[in-house]
Amino acid sequence: MTTRPENVTAAQASGGLAGARPPDPDGDGGPAKRTYTPDFLTELFRNPLDPGYADAAARKARDGEPTGARRWSTSAVAFVTLVALGFLLVVAYQQTVADEPAATKARTTLIGQVQKRRDETEQLQKQADQLNRDVSALREKELGGAAVAQLKDLESQTGLAPVRGSGAKITLRDGPTPVNPLTGEKNTAGQVKDTDLQLATNALWSLGAEAITINGQRLTATSTIRQAGEAILVDFRPVSTPYEVVAIGPGDLAKNFQDGYAGKFFKELVSKYGMSFDSSAAKDVTLDAATELKLRVAVPSTPPPSPSGSAKAAQPHDSPSKGGR
Amino acid sequence: MIAVLALLVGVVLGIVVHPTVPNALQPYLPIAVVAALDAVFGGVRAKLDGIFDDKQFVVSFISNVLVAALIVYLGDQLGVGSQLSTGVVVVLGVRIFGNVAAIRRHLFRA
Repeated sequence: MTTRPENVTAAQASGGLAGARPPDPDGDGGPAKRTYTPDFLTELFRNPLDPGYADAAARKARDGEPTGARRWSTSAVAFVTLVALGFLLVVAYQQTVADEPAATKARTTLIGQVQKRRDETEQLQKQADQLNRDVSALREKELGGAAVAQLKDLESQTGLAPVRGSGAKITLRDGPTPVNPLTGEKNTAGQVKDTDLQLATNALWSLGAEAITINGQRLTATSTIRQAGEAILVDFRPVSTPYEVVAIGPGDLAKNFQDGYAGKFFKELVSKYGMSFDSSAAKDVTLDAATELKLRVAVPSTPPPSPSGSAKAAQPHDSPSKGGR
Repeated sequence: MIAVLALLVGVVLGIVVHPTVPNALQPYLPIAVVAALDAVFGGVRAKLDGIFDDKQFVVSFISNVLVAALIVYLGDQLGVGSQLSTGVVVVLGVRIFGNVAAIRRHLFRA
């Protein structure tokens, strides 16, 4: 066992030599010379031919060629073996060819299923939207004018309804992400992080913004902005660079933002990491309603509904920092 | 000549019969093919060396295929099937390579 490493290297060396050497003629001895070395690899590299052939040749030389029926029978068996061999090769080939489309077929079936489910989801979403509209139409019919106006107000403030107005548009773009030529690692310092977007939205809330979207995604009081790997998720939907934060609010929102702490912070990032940052006033923009707002608390309206319900606590005005959590 | 004829007969037979391989045997088919190729190249080299022997060829072919299949079967039972098949393929591959090199020297004198 201790000599194993040397033996292996010897085997490799002789294996390399074997390519340049003429085949070893078995002239130096008869069948008695055949030895089984314990080092299998060396033997394997040195002499890949089955030693049985040399044995058989030696036997033939000693006893002469087999004659008559015996010779014919071995030839016939060899013939049958070769037939079996050809059969085996064809079967293996056919098997391999047959397996290939099966794998592809499974893949296409899966793709088809995914597509179908997606279509179904879309269909259901459309249906849900339709029902939503029906519900609000019915509600408007049932409630009186003042209640509807109050409801609409609350809805637009909480992000449940689309709103239109003027405000600011903040655009953030990823900076360059140079790849370290030695380690192959990407330097992601120039990328916009979730904390950057949180900072921007919180700054906008605090400057009096009434509604905010990030890449078209309306923020509500319970919205989340989180990093997942390299992607940023807003309410669990991925958004990507360039990030457009549109806010509706007072007329000097863009200017205030630029001069505030957030604007200074982003300008710092621009000069340090090559991100791009832009803040401009936006006129007459429409912000969509939030896609997902779960009903968390519901109170039966046996007493006449008091105006200071729980919905008021969710207003962005009252809790400007919530958008970034 | 007869050998080539026999091979062709086998190929035609395979195409005509078009057998379906039972599922239980499928993992052994590629290994069996490699083992068979090893026997074939050994036989061709022996032929060129002038020491070909029918009996030796038949025995080496059958035993190669059976032993290779057996090793893979054992490996499957022990849970190391893929590693053992790799080992079988490496050993047979080395032998095939060596024999093909010898055949090449015979044919091209280089």
